[in-house]
Amino acid sequence: MADSRVDTLEDRSDAVTRERVAETPQVTGAEATSAPAEHGTAVFVADKVNVHYGSTLALKGVDLEIRRNHITALIGPSGCGKSTFLRCLNRMNDLIPGAEVSGSLTFHGEDMYAPHVDSVDLRRRVGMVFQKPNPFPKSIRENLAFGMKVNGLKANDERIEKVLRHAALWDEVKDKLDDDAYALSGGQQQRLCIARAIAVQPEVILMDEPCSALDPISTLAIEELMRQLREDYTIVIVTHNMQQAARVSDRTAFFTVEQPEGGGRHGILAENGDTEMMFRAPKDGRTQDYITGRFG
Amino acid sequence: MATTAHSTDVPQVKPLARKRFRPADAFFHWALLAAIGIAMGALVWLTVSVVMKGAGSLDLGFLQDKASSSAKRAGFNSALVGSFVLMLITMVVAVPLGFAAATYLEKFAPSSRAELTVIANRRARALALRKEAGTIGGAGALLGSVSVAFGRVWARIGPPIVRIIDVNISNLAAVPSIIYGLLGLAMFVSIMGISKSLLAGGLTLAVLVLPIIIIAAREAIRAVPSSIEQGAMALGATRWQAVRSQVLPAALPGMLTGTILAMSRAIGESAPLVVVGGVAFATQRISANPLSAGDQPLVAMPLQIFDWVERPQQGQWGPLAAAGIIVLLIALLLMNAVAIWLRNRFTRRW
Repeated sequence: MADSRVDTLEDRSDAVTRERVAETPQVTGAEATSAPAEHGTAVFVADKVNVHYGSTLALKGVDLEIRRNHITALIGPSGCGKSTFLRCLNRMNDLIPGAEVSGSLTFHGEDMYAPHVDSVDLRRRVGMVFQKPNPFPKSIRENLAFGMKVNGLKANDERIEKVLRHAALWDEVKDKLDDDAYALSGGQQQRLCIARAIAVQPEVILMDEPCSALDPISTLAIEELMRQLREDYTIVIVTHNMQQAARVSDRTAFFTVEQPEGGGRHGILAENGDTEMMFRAPKDGRTQDYITGRFG
Repeated sequence: MATTAHSTDVPQVKPLARKRFRPADAFFHWALLAAIGIAMGALVWLTVSVVMKGAGSLDLGFLQDKASSSAKRAGFNSALVGSFVLMLITMVVAVPLGFAAATYLEKFAPSSRAELTVIANRRARALALRKEAGTIGGAGALLGSVSVAFGRVWARIGPPIVRIIDVNISNLAAVPSIIYGLLGLAMFVSIMGISKSLLAGGLTLAVLVLPIIIIAAREAIRAVPSSIEQGAMALGATRWQAVRSQVLPAALPGMLTGTILAMSRAIGESAPLVVVGGVAFATQRISANPLSAGDQPLVAMPLQIFDWVERPQQGQWGPLAAAGIIVLLIALLLMNAVAIWLRNRFTRRW
């Protein structure tokens, strides 16, 4: 499903793109250009990414690679900037007044924050699931149809069924597609939101603590779903729950809070690597403390 | 014997206290009850006296008969039709304007200097890149520089301007209605040259209810959580698509409720209509066609009632005025009932 979809970010001026691609230093080397879309190649590469809200520094100097068809978990204590970083990946931060991202952040080797890049098109390719289920106040069918219509896809029954099956929700809702989405349980609502994200055929799905508002059984259902989706999508998940990170993710990035002597407080990326290694033998002392429950 | 031995280490259990009279509690209980009693009592007394006086004159003929100088033949029809056309004009003008203004102020107006500065900087960087790449000509570059410069200036003056508009919309909602009448007289009748007609009256009432509609619509839009808009945008919708397809439909019941309440304010207004040339005695036929509103005399229910109350032979005209008041009250109650129904039917908890 997800092969051969590595086209360039849609832009408003081809000439400018060519010019920019030529002058942009290729951070990721060979992987950056239109490489074969194999599992494990870098989708996002962050190089010294800072995020400011107004004049406040929120996140400092993040170097991180997000790999294709992997589940990458972003963990860390509250206020460490993991959600902020997640929202950089689909430029959702653009919607927050005064938020500014600096440093280099590439998507398939292209600078995501280049002035010519259309953030609306980027968001179609990098979908998002939010912390609290946020279905539209409409029927289940309309929830799925909206994204499809916006992206020029026909919202026919066949496609809706396929998407709902993909999100492991079909059997529960097939007889009530025209019912209000808010009549579903919290876990079902969240799976509907995942279905809604899949419906526009993105390449990446960002999940911002998708299970924090759910009961353990719904959480399990969503984790199971994530493992299935990994075949077709690249997933980045922010989670407070370390067991969840250990259960579902391939790679883990640990963010923490730094309080420099001059005052202030910002998030940094302390360590990242294979999930198994991170949990078994973390190199950074702060990671060790966090995952063993000494703080956070 | 055992009890006395225990009484030294175990604390004595106190018996339950007896009920006692608390004067402050009682006072406020009765004071509040008296307040609501006075308010409701006045209302009930007014209503009952009006109904008793007017019920006898209130029949189908009263609703069908035109205005007349003879109390026996006079009816409420002209006023009823006039008010209906007036409300139609007011709604057609005020609702689109009010909803659009509310949507802009809630969803598109620049909120902070930081936000606008970021946008201006982004534009400046894009322009610099295009200049470097040589993909932009002399005129285009000049235009780009002007737009960047304007963006920088707007970042400074935009947010204060929006704030001033913000505060003044609330102020406008509190301006006495006669002031709007004077405004209507100056703007629509004198400057724009619209004759003293239903159209001029409708436009004046539209200006009068506009701030009320804007405030209500803004509140309804604000009640839709931002996660709905963000969810839509995360699917690749533009801001306008997100607002049009998700935020506004969710806010619509609240916006309509506010609109109906604003209209029920307008339907009872008489002062601004008198100023823009309202008449209580229409010699021409009133038509319900708003397109011919330009040459219709301006009659409305409150004006007709005012005229009847003012006439000398109250024995004849008084019951007619009371009947008119009943009709106006019923219209108001119906509108408010629709508003309440809308609110209860479509309000959701997020």
